This record gives sequence, structure tokens and C-alpha cells, in this order.
Amino acid sequence: MAVYKRAYRPYEGVYTPLRWRFMVIPRFAWSSLFESRVVLGFYFGAFIPALLAAAFIYIVNSPTAQAFLSLQGATFLQVNNLFFMKYLVVQAFFCFLFAALIGPGLMSVDFANDALPLFLSRPISRAEYLLGKFTVIAAILSTITWVPAILLFLLQASLAGFNWFANNLWIAGSILLGSVIWIVVLTLLVLALSAWVRWKVAATALTIVVFFVIPGFGEAINEVLRTYWGKLLNLSYLIGLVWTHLFDGPLTDPQAGTIHPRFIDLPLWTACLMLTFVVALSIWMLHKKLKPREVVR
Amino acid sequence: MQAVIELENLVVRLGGRTILDSLNTSVKGRAIGLLGPNGSGKSTLINTLLGFYEPDGGTARIFGRDIRTHAKQLRSLIGYMPESDSFIAEMTGIRFVRYMAELSGLPPDEAMERAHEAFFYVGLGEQRYRKVGTYSLGMKQMVKLAQAIVHGPKLLFLDEPTNGLDPPGRLRMLNLIREIRDTFGMHIILSSHLLRDVEECCEEVLILKDGRIADYCNLEEERRANRKFIEIETYNGNDGFTKAVESLGCECAWLKNGRAKLVLPPSLEMRELYGAAARHAVQIRKMNFRRDSLEDIFLRAMESTNGVNGTAEKAGQAHGRL
Amino acid sequence: MTQPPSDLIVFDNVSKFYGDVLGVNKVNLTIAPGITSLVGPNGSGKTTLMNLLTGLVLPTQGSVTVCGLTSKDPERFFKMVGYCSQFDSFPKGITGYELVNSSLLLHGLGGRQAHDLTVEALQRVNLLDAANRKVAGYSKGMRQRIRLAQAIAHHPTVLILDEPLNGLDPMARAESIALFQSIGKQGLHVIISSHILHEVDRISDRVVLLSSGYVVAEGAIHSVRTEVKEHPMQIMVRCSNPSALASRVFALDHAVEAKIHTDGKGVLVRTCDIEKFYLLLNQIVVSGEVDVEAVAPADDDVNSIYQYLIGNDGGSI
Repeated sequence: MAVYKRAYRPYEGVYTPLRWRFMVIPRFAWSSLFESRVVLGFYFGAFIPALLAAAFIYIVNSPTAQAFLSLQGATFLQVNNLFFMKYLVVQAFFCFLFAALIGPGLMSVDFANDALPLFLSRPISRAEYLLGKFTVIAAILSTITWVPAILLFLLQASLAGFNWFANNLWIAGSILLGSVIWIVVLTLLVLALSAWVRWKVAATALTIVVFFVIPGFGEAINEVLRTYWGKLLNLSYLIGLVWTHLFDGPLTDPQAGTIHPRFIDLPLWTACLMLTFVVALSIWMLHKKLKPREVVR
Repeated sequence: MQAVIELENLVVRLGGRTILDSLNTSVKGRAIGLLGPNGSGKSTLINTLLGFYEPDGGTARIFGRDIRTHAKQLRSLIGYMPESDSFIAEMTGIRFVRYMAELSGLPPDEAMERAHEAFFYVGLGEQRYRKVGTYSLGMKQMVKLAQAIVHGPKLLFLDEPTNGLDPPGRLRMLNLIREIRDTFGMHIILSSHLLRDVEECCEEVLILKDGRIADYCNLEEERRANRKFIEIETYNGNDGFTKAVESLGCECAWLKNGRAKLVLPPSLEMRELYGAAARHAVQIRKMNFRRDSLEDIFLRAMESTNGVNGTAEKAGQAHGRL
Repeated sequence: MTQPPSDLIVFDNVSKFYGDVLGVNKVNLTIAPGITSLVGPNGSGKTTLMNLLTGLVLPTQGSVTVCGLTSKDPERFFKMVGYCSQFDSFPKGITGYELVNSSLLLHGLGGRQAHDLTVEALQRVNLLDAANRKVAGYSKGMRQRIRLAQAIAHHPTVLILDEPLNGLDPMARAESIALFQSIGKQGLHVIISSHILHEVDRISDRVVLLSSGYVVAEGAIHSVRTEVKEHPMQIMVRCSNPSALASRVFALDHAVEAKIHTDGKGVLVRTCDIEKFYLLLNQIVVSGEVDVEAVAPADDDVNSIYQYLIGNDGGSI
């Protein structure tokens, strides 16, 4: 017989690699996020457009299906740059929703009760902490933007043949670049707002203000001053503008469809500048707020 | 024994002011108390060693490794229990400690096991499944301790660990600290304003004042040296006894409630003091060799640096009254 | 009912309930001037008792009379009472001077008088040089002291302090304690709630122990202890020859138990008659049988009384 004394013992096991340590943050965040039915519901809802798009692609490439639906020779039945851009535009809206839904809670939970010193007293740097939080949102947004879009592209390529693939490969590039830009801008902005305001409710309110109220204000400026520079305050407009140029067919392929002119009131460089400014501002805000200790004067 | 912390001309400036001014010391003990008045730079020192502030000059080494170049490596060896509230309200206790353990490098399975062990160790049972935001103050303190020890650090920074705890909680915390010190090969830096806490747990004490080191001493040795100071508390004390004690050659300070502080002459034995008590039918209800050596050390350190500060003198008088 | 003497605080069968939740139940206390400490776990009713004393809440049953006044006479009552809470909040942007001065103005004092009293209070807590800085920039200890200044500025007869030494460094603690003692000596009331029992031991004239809303004991510490008769007094004697001492102790009829300490260098004696024991101890030491290192009542302090009467239930964790 033996009597076991339950005492605390020092740790002598292996450690996880430092390089991927930051992934602990997303893992925990995802597991608690997807416990919420609202989040799950939205997430699955975000795939509905993909399913519809896949069905559309199938129909476009299947004469039998077209015959069945009495749609032979319909002009809108094309899978081209415009199609993919429209898909991304729809998904951009879902991105908005997601970012506003999960973003504010992400940083403010750590700030609300001053948990940051506990993070930073561990072998994780400020940059890695930010990277972890960034990954939480960016990974989710990726799975609803470029990942399904590329899959749709491959579906189309497999159905339409190698020629189509070769001619339209540039679209895949545009999908990737366009999505990444949007994800980076959105994620950084939402994280910065969440870090700036320590209270989750306030962070959500601020996010809504930035995404909806400020563009409205921009429109008001447009109306009053009879100009269109107010659109600079509208993030979705700006990204739409960038995408218009990214997906703009006639520059490379005369057969491709052209993009609707609605998006080309302002020159491209203004949009790029504005988006860069938003990213820089977000990074600056995060740099100011991500401190383990405030210096008291 | 290898030094735990070595400071060489460490300088830290914040907000335009020099907070730590050329600190030089080598700290070796198992449990080291960190003392100092408000504004002495205690918190800044801890924050610098944790890597929250960059030193502006000089070096600091923990276990022989420079804090500037080996920051990440050191932080896996360190546990930190901050003074202020530090938690994530929406997480359950167990999830929170697991999170911290994994961030410190433990694989998920190990992290789960050790988190539960840590909770058992600090005495939180079913509460670990509740959200930390619902915890009482005492429980929050224990969770802070749990997350500090879960990854088995070699050096533990405890900042006011008994803050806000009621008497049983305080006793429990001090017992835990002593157990950790004695059993697990961890070094502890205990920063506190309660001299009694430091006295009960630490063998060495580092005292800071105005950003400089005012004193660094070993309490064990100090206690051993204080053999001729005793404190007594009498019952039924009378003038006869008082005179007898003084005639034995003792210097006496008589306080209220029958308490007294005596300095015995080197040749005097305890028996003679008791003899005086027996003759005058006085009961000596309490007797011990002076235990408040830490208070003396602290006050001496405050008075001796940079000229006399009125505060230290007044406090010294106040202590005399007690 | 005769009017109680005008320097006592009297709780007369006081109960306070917050809806269903118990604050305190059937409290009967008479508190004389001097330093009285309230001791008990978190949630035991200390804060409720203090709120009743300061008139911030009214009792559900019974009455609270402070120096002859109740909170039904607010003008005079509130002038008499000074309260320093444990909560660390204050109006935004306010400086130390303004905090104390404005509370004095609220008492109806004129500008000149308020200024003088403010300066005096700030001097007493040693914050005169920091008075014009914003309280938000103060350290924790300084914020504690400015709250204290606000409580004492209008020279109250009754000073009620909730954990007043929290966050103070050892010197500030000693000064604050000296301040309380000087106020107590003037014949005023100082009511302190604290968890640091050895300090309570040192500075209080009497103690009130609370547990789960009831007063479990009150009075001077030694007299409280002698009344806890279920526990014979324990004395720890650290000495060179513990077994010899133990055998001498067993020869007595009033000794209940003599236990040798685990490290072999001391004896824990439990006896029903401590006076006889101490006089015997004198003899034993004089005879040279035993060299005594330390003698201490193992349970004659607030800590032990706390353990016996309150223990670990109703406590934190």
C-alpha cells in the first residue's frame, strides 16, 4: 500500500515551439466564438452565396441544365471577371458583418480587466499578440472570401477547360489580392477600435459608427457641396473602386466584360491612399494602446 | 549559489524622470522581499525585470541571462502575480488558467492537467468552472496565483499577494508562499507594504528608496544577531518588579498594557529575569527575542539615505510609541 | 427610555435587510470612545454596520444612536461623522485640495474657514505639496491618504474608516496609526475595519467580531478571550528541554494538555488556570531546569479569537 501526497510539481516536459506560440490566441478565440449560435448561423449563412454561385457555374457549363431551365443562349450566363467580382462584393458585406460581430469583443475583453500584463509577462511579444488577434478574424474572413472564390474558380476551370483557365488565370490573382486588401483593412481597423475603447459595447458602437455613420456623413457632404469627394469616407466604396480596377477586364482581355461604371467617380490612387491611411492609423492606434503598463506622469 | 538577479548600474527613465538610478546588486536568496515607500521604484523595477520597460542604461540579469537579449527565454521561466486586478471576465477560471499555461508553452493536454492541479493547489474547487468575472476578491487573488505558477516557473514575482484578503485567506496565501518556497525550487520575489508578510516568508530583503538601493540584508543573520533584545508582556506588573528589572542592568521601555521592550546586559541570564518575576508574583505572559527586526531595518534604511526625511523621523517616533 | 450618555454609540436591536439579503441581524452594541476595530470575513456585515453608522442606510429594525443623535437629524448628525470608504473612486479631474475643500463647503462652512481646515487636514496626512495635483495622478497610497483627509477635515466626533491602511507603505501606516491613536486619546470615536489582525491587536482598545451578519463577540481583546471558555487557554513555550517542562506541567491539576511541538523545541500547554501556570513557569525557569526561548499565548490575540469564533466558514474561497 502506498499513500500519495498530492503536491505541486515543477514542469519538466516539452514546450511548444515559440514560432507558432501566437496561434494559442486564435485557437481559444475560435473555440469560444463558435459556441455562439449567432456566430455559427452567420458563418453558415455566408456560404449560401457560394452554393448559389456553384450552381450558377454548373448551369453555365451544362447545356442540359440550360435546356431544362429553358435558358439556352441567355446572355447573362457567363462566368467571367464580373461574376467573381460580384461574388466578392457580396462576401464583402458578410465580412463587414463578421468583423463588426466578433471584432469589438476580441481586444476589449483583454483590456477591460487589465489582463495584458499577464500576456506580455509570457514569452509572447506585442507583435505576436497582435498577430494572434489578427489571425482570429483574418482566417475566418479568408474562409468566406478568397477560399471559396478560388474554389469556384477551379470549379469553373474544371468544367470550362484549360483554355478558359489559361485566359482567366489573372482573375485568380485579382481575387487573392483584392480579398487580402479588404481583410487587412477591415481587421486592423476593427482591432484598433476595439483596443481604443475598453468596453465591448462601446467598441461595437464605434465600429458601427465608422462603418455606417461616417459614410452617411460622406454622402451628406456630397449632397451639400455637390461633389463626390465625400465618398472617400465610405470604406465599401473605396474597396469597390480598387476591385473595379483589379477586375477590370478590357485592359487585358477584350472578351472579358467591363465593370459597371458606378464605381469610378474617383481616381484609383485616392482610394489606395485612403486605404493605406486607414491601415496606418489603425497600426498607430494599436501601437499606442498595446502597452502592458501605462506610464504615469 | 548562482545569483537570481544581478543589477549593474541599471537606469530606467519614464515620462522624463529618472525612476531607477544606477542600481547595483546581486540577489541570491530563495525568497526575497522587496520593500520601499511609494515612489521608490519598486513597481518600476519589477516591470523592468518583466520586460515591460526598456532600461535606459546598465544591465539586469536573471539567472545569468541579460533581460534585453534573452527576454523570451526568461519570460518562460518567470511567473507574475500583479497587484491590480488582472483577468478575463468572460472566461471560466479553468479556461483562463489553461490559456495562460498554453501561452507559456505547455502543450494543450499538459496545460489542462496542470491548470487543474494549480486550482487544487490554491484551494479553488468547484469555483473553477465559473466565470472569473463572478469571483470574489479572494478568489481572484488565488486565480492570479494559479496562473503565475501553472507553468512551473523558476522565479515568481508576487506583488502584494495578500491584498484585500480576509484573515483566513491571508493565512492561506502566506502558507502557500512558504510551501512554494520550500518545496518546489522556485525563487520568489515578494513585494509588499506589509512588513509582517515579508518577515514571515522571506530570508532576504531588498529595500529601495528614491530609485536607489537603501539596503540589502539577510533577515536570518539579523535575527541571530539580535539576541539581547527582548519583548515581554506582563500581567499584574508592579513597581517592585519594574525596579528589580532595572536594577538587573536592563534598559527598559515600558509601554501600555504591561508591554515592555528590554535590552539585556550581556552577562544577564533569563533565569534572573524570571527570578525577579517570581519574587514579585508577576506573570510574564509573553516573551520573545525581538521580532520586529525588519521594522528596525526598514526605518534605518529610510533614515540613512540622502539626508533626513521628516517622514522617516516621525514614523520612527510613532514606532517607538508602539 | 433614558437618554444614553452623549459620548456613546448605541445599536439597539438593529437589523438591516436588502430585500432578501441579510446585512446584519439583531445587533446590540454599545461603543465607548477610543479605537474600536470591526473584524470579520468579507460579507459579514462590516460595511453594512459602517453604513448604518454614517447614516447612509437606515436600519430595517431598531435604531442607531451616535452620541445622542440619529440620522433623523441630518444637519447635526452628518457634521459629527467622518467616513473614509474603501472604494477608490473620485470625481474626474479633481485635485487633492479641491476634493477636501468641496466636502467642507458642503458642510456649510465659509470659504476662509474651509480653506484653513483643508490645509490643516492635508498637513495631517502629509499631502500638502501634492494638493494641487489631480487625484487621478496620485499613487494608491496617496489616494488613500486624501480620502482620509476628507474624512477628518471637518473634525468629526466619530471617524469611520473602512480598511484605511490599504496600499500604504510601512511609514505611512505608522503615521496613520499614530493619527488614529491621537484622535482616540482625545475622547473621540475611531471605528476601523481591517483584515490585518496583528495591527488590530496593537492599536485597538476593543474589537467587534462579525460573522454572517451577526456580532459574534465584542469587547477588549483579553476579556473576550477569557470568555471563550470552551477553549482552555493555550500557551506556547519554546525552550531547551520541552519534556521536562511537560512533565512538570502534568503534575498540575489545572493542565489539560501538554503537546510537544513537532520541531522538538517547544511545548504547547493548554490549561484552565493560566495565572497558576505563569507563576509556576517563573519557578521552573528560576530553578534552572529549563532555558526559556520564548513564551507566547498561542491564542490570546485577535487571530485566535477569530479562528475560534469565526473560523473558515463565511470566509473567502
